Amino acid sequence: MSARGPSATERAASRRIVAAFGASAAGAVGFAVTYAQGGNTRWEGACLAVAFAGLAVGLAVWARRLVPVGGYVEEHEGFTPPPTEQAMTAAELTAPDSPVRRRGLLAALGLALTALGAAALFPLRSLLPFDRARPERALKDTPWGPGVRLVDAAGRPVRPQDVPADSMVAVFPEGHVDTGDAPAFAVRLEPRRFSRPPAGGHLDGLVVWSLLCTHAGCPVRTYLKGTARVLCPCHQSSFDLLAGARPVAGPAARALPGLPIEEGPDGFLHATGDFTAPPGAGFWDSP
Amino acid sequence: MRRPRAATVRPLLHPRRALAVGAALVLAAGPVALVPARSPAASAPPAAAAPAAGDRGTQLYLEHCASCHGERGQGAQRGPSLVGVGPASVDFQLSTGRMPVSREVQQARRGEPVFSAADISALVDHVASFGGGGPRIPRVAPGHLGSGREIFAANCAPCHGATGAGAALTNGWTAPPLYDSTPVQVAEAVRVGPGLMPVFPSQVLDDRQVDDLAAYVQRLRGERLDRGGNPLGRLGPLAEGLVAWLAALGLLVAAARWLGRRAGE
Amino acid sequence: MITDRLARALDDRLRLSPIARRAMAKVFPDHWSFMLGELALYSFVALLLTGVYLTFFFDASNADRVYHGEYAPLEGRTTSAAYASTVRLSWDVRAGLLIRQTHHWAALVFVAAIVLHLARIFFTGAFRKPRELNFLIGVTMLTLALANGFTGYSLPDDLLSGVGLRILTSVVQSIPLVGAWLAALALGGEFPSDAMIPRMFVTHVLLVPAVLVALISLHLGILVRQKHSQFPGPGRTEHNLVGSRLWPSYTLRSLALFAWLLAVLFALGGLVQINPVWLYGPFEPAQATSPAQPDWYVAWGDGALRLFPSWEFRIAGHLVPAAFFPGVVLGGVTFLALYAWPFAERLRTGDRRQHHLLDRPRDHPVRLGVGVGALTFYAVLTVAAGDDIIARLIRVPVYDLLSLFRVLVFVLPLLAGLVAFLVARALRRGDAAGVGELTRADLRRAAHRSVRPPEADSGESETPARDRPGERIELWPEGDLWRWRYRDEDRQVVFPGSRAVRSEEEAASAARLAYPGVDRVVVPGPPPAPPPGPVRVALRRWGRAAAAGSLLLAALLDRRRDRRRQERERAEQASSPEAADRASTGGGRT
Repeated sequence: MSARGPSATERAASRRIVAAFGASAAGAVGFAVTYAQGGNTRWEGACLAVAFAGLAVGLAVWARRLVPVGGYVEEHEGFTPPPTEQAMTAAELTAPDSPVRRRGLLAALGLALTALGAAALFPLRSLLPFDRARPERALKDTPWGPGVRLVDAAGRPVRPQDVPADSMVAVFPEGHVDTGDAPAFAVRLEPRRFSRPPAGGHLDGLVVWSLLCTHAGCPVRTYLKGTARVLCPCHQSSFDLLAGARPVAGPAARALPGLPIEEGPDGFLHATGDFTAPPGAGFWDSP
Repeated sequence: MRRPRAATVRPLLHPRRALAVGAALVLAAGPVALVPARSPAASAPPAAAAPAAGDRGTQLYLEHCASCHGERGQGAQRGPSLVGVGPASVDFQLSTGRMPVSREVQQARRGEPVFSAADISALVDHVASFGGGGPRIPRVAPGHLGSGREIFAANCAPCHGATGAGAALTNGWTAPPLYDSTPVQVAEAVRVGPGLMPVFPSQVLDDRQVDDLAAYVQRLRGERLDRGGNPLGRLGPLAEGLVAWLAALGLLVAAARWLGRRAGE
Repeated sequence: MITDRLARALDDRLRLSPIARRAMAKVFPDHWSFMLGELALYSFVALLLTGVYLTFFFDASNADRVYHGEYAPLEGRTTSAAYASTVRLSWDVRAGLLIRQTHHWAALVFVAAIVLHLARIFFTGAFRKPRELNFLIGVTMLTLALANGFTGYSLPDDLLSGVGLRILTSVVQSIPLVGAWLAALALGGEFPSDAMIPRMFVTHVLLVPAVLVALISLHLGILVRQKHSQFPGPGRTEHNLVGSRLWPSYTLRSLALFAWLLAVLFALGGLVQINPVWLYGPFEPAQATSPAQPDWYVAWGDGALRLFPSWEFRIAGHLVPAAFFPGVVLGGVTFLALYAWPFAERLRTGDRRQHHLLDRPRDHPVRLGVGVGALTFYAVLTVAAGDDIIARLIRVPVYDLLSLFRVLVFVLPLLAGLVAFLVARALRRGDAAGVGELTRADLRRAAHRSVRPPEADSGESETPARDRPGERIELWPEGDLWRWRYRDEDRQVVFPGSRAVRSEEEAASAARLAYPGVDRVVVPGPPPAPPPGPVRVALRRWGRAAAAGSLLLAALLDRRRDRRRQERERAEQASSPEAADRASTGGGRT
């Protein structure tokens, strides 16, 4: 309970409230001036914080010192309505001429509404345009195919000697550098160290795999030189490139799909087909 | 009205800003603490060593390196061979203070360099005398930021993070933060591939691209005073979530507790 | 003066005063935990305000756009319009970064406040009848908040969020039969599609916020209709609500909280950097960054994806990928369990009564144990989402940490739940007031099966014992109006009724609703307010004696008044039977 009349405590509280609101106004002016002078995120934020904190403190002191607080009681009607009231409502709802009594008409109405609701679902299909491939087909197909040249991120075709040992080169199908499921990487390994041959074959130790993790589709872009492993930075799956890019740790369960390649007559690398499996995360129709 | 003027008049602003920056740096020091101060000696690429340095190099080598790497750099059980590692590698390891190490470690950490710039260049020459060639110490020219950013995002961000804050690899290895690297050290690391880092020889990144990359890494480091305020070590959303819970929710719940109490309590 | 006239003018046209008077007298319980929902509400308001500002500058499109501006590393580069406009907003629009960061911080705080509010509702049993409906609405709003957080986080089309969106797409794809279709319908094709930014934008700024606004209105409407619940205490029953009034006390407090929330958000928005998309760079399908985490409120899903073993199987040649269980099943089970909890608990306890008095968390050891266990589970998952960061900071191999988390995610929740359960039982059975006062004996007793029948049922509906000697209702006239108050002399509490009414009958009926069965008496008026200021200190010192003295006096006066009333009643009873009835309900006129 707060005190009545302008007592000493009340006067002190009032002074504090005025000071707080004053600080708030100062903060607001500070914000405006900072903004007008060219803006600085820190000072703008600090000034606005002071402005609102001043308001908050002033209002809070006001609420706690100058206003009757607490101890009021309000009645709380129960939420179980009296049975008579319920019965009256029910009777009115189901009066003899009430629509709810017309069972047959209601059934027809229900049929019409159901049909309308079902029909309204159809346009949702347009969210995926009809000229697109069916999703499971699209997930399996990539721009890779026989004869597609391998290019680097800048679009330059890649020759076998562009892939040095101890390095990882991201490669793309020519003309599809931005396609989501196409990125691959080329590494050069020692063929005699293979414990399992790469699924897509190799060209004197030059192997190309899909860059997309088979767990959740992140690019496995972290190449640990010397261990011949790649690591996914998202969920830490690692794949052993010497063992056919088999997952060796972390949550991934399938090996990275390989890309069959050859050196074309032009001296550049060409794919001889698509990935050995759909790239990226698994789905229901994954072969 | 004294406050807003104080907040906006330029000369008065600087000490406060310095304080804020200091606080931000202290808070940001979580991951950066892995790496102590950067070496002032590292920025000068030692090119031509004085002829008399050969003796100095031999002496230093026998004193500090030979016990692990062998007297002729042939390597031993405790240390790898230095034949053919190249001047860039030796300069990188010494100027970043990773070598010498007092005991065998999996991954040496960055530190204050033990040797002076002249001593490092003497050691580089001595190790080069073992033969085998290897990458030279690159000369770094000013580069283009935009192209550097793209090269960084494509080749470096997967391990060191797009923010350059570093990240964990497997088996206790880490990709260190890049904030203390000089342009030459960046170029050396690119060419040499220390530890688990892949090598980027000139058929992957040409010299101009390395210049661009070094320029961007310097910029990344310069922007540690981030535009948006304290960068929270540039650790990303989880650090931000922690701040939201501890700082924001802490302050808000404290306010609610105070407001929700009755005056007498 | 002006406000007075304006109020009158409005009232003359809309006849608002009866509604306004009731609304102003609405009572809020005086406990901080009732303000957690308010925090969520005000965060949402902050999100709307800052978000509208952002839409003026954000270009929701996947189309190419060349960036020109202050941020040198991106100067002249072609990125998606969404990314370029976000960097422009952050570097070239004055105050743009402040608003953007404040918006993002507000989103983090919004979900955090919802979670805290949900925890309060859960542990105090506020979801029980008649509030199940509001519980369901609240859980729905939590899912919408998560959805809106994730779409907003993904809108700038930066590398970090793009990778996150790719992970979510992979999770959706993992759903048996329909996964690929769902993902393709949502994105308008294979990830990354040209339609995804515009679609997420519409979802983020129109669809979900509109539904949220509707649900918040419904949530608050139901709250006003049902009134707040309250913690048990002297004079607090299932039929009343004790606290401070909406006007002026809670109006000021609530505004103060709103202002404080904005202060905290703007301080963070200006001083602590969040989501520096210019550093992350634009999304490219072949690029990655490390460490990669989502915002905290979806991090539990990311943690589950990390911890779940590399285990997948085929059904008749069809693949059920590893991401399905931690991604889809865990999320589905989480929210189904939340939705089902009120009904599951009712099934278990068979309690179908209405509850306006809250449980203390200790009153329900099983509920507390389950809740604490579940919170621990999700907390461990969230921390596990940062296992790579932790591995680097404490210099531990990341796979060792992974193995540790795979154990902790089961052990810690069980332990925490068990401890919470035992502590709750010990507190209930023993006489310790708080956790700090528990003795070993209390805990030992809690570990054994209860010999006595559980007290839960009797404790849940704490109706005051009728005819408690010290309790009574006092009514008095004040000018043309009537007021009433509840008074319990034994426990020394006095609660004035929240509003003045026009007749004695109205006051009596309000009092009868709030305290059924408590005797009502009419008194000449309330005692004068205590003298203010320094006197209060002295007063407090004499408090005990004075209170005892006045109580004694009051009791004497009451006895005399009662005796007189009874005499008069007896006299009136002889003349008319109606008067007797009125005397027993409304009290006599003195």
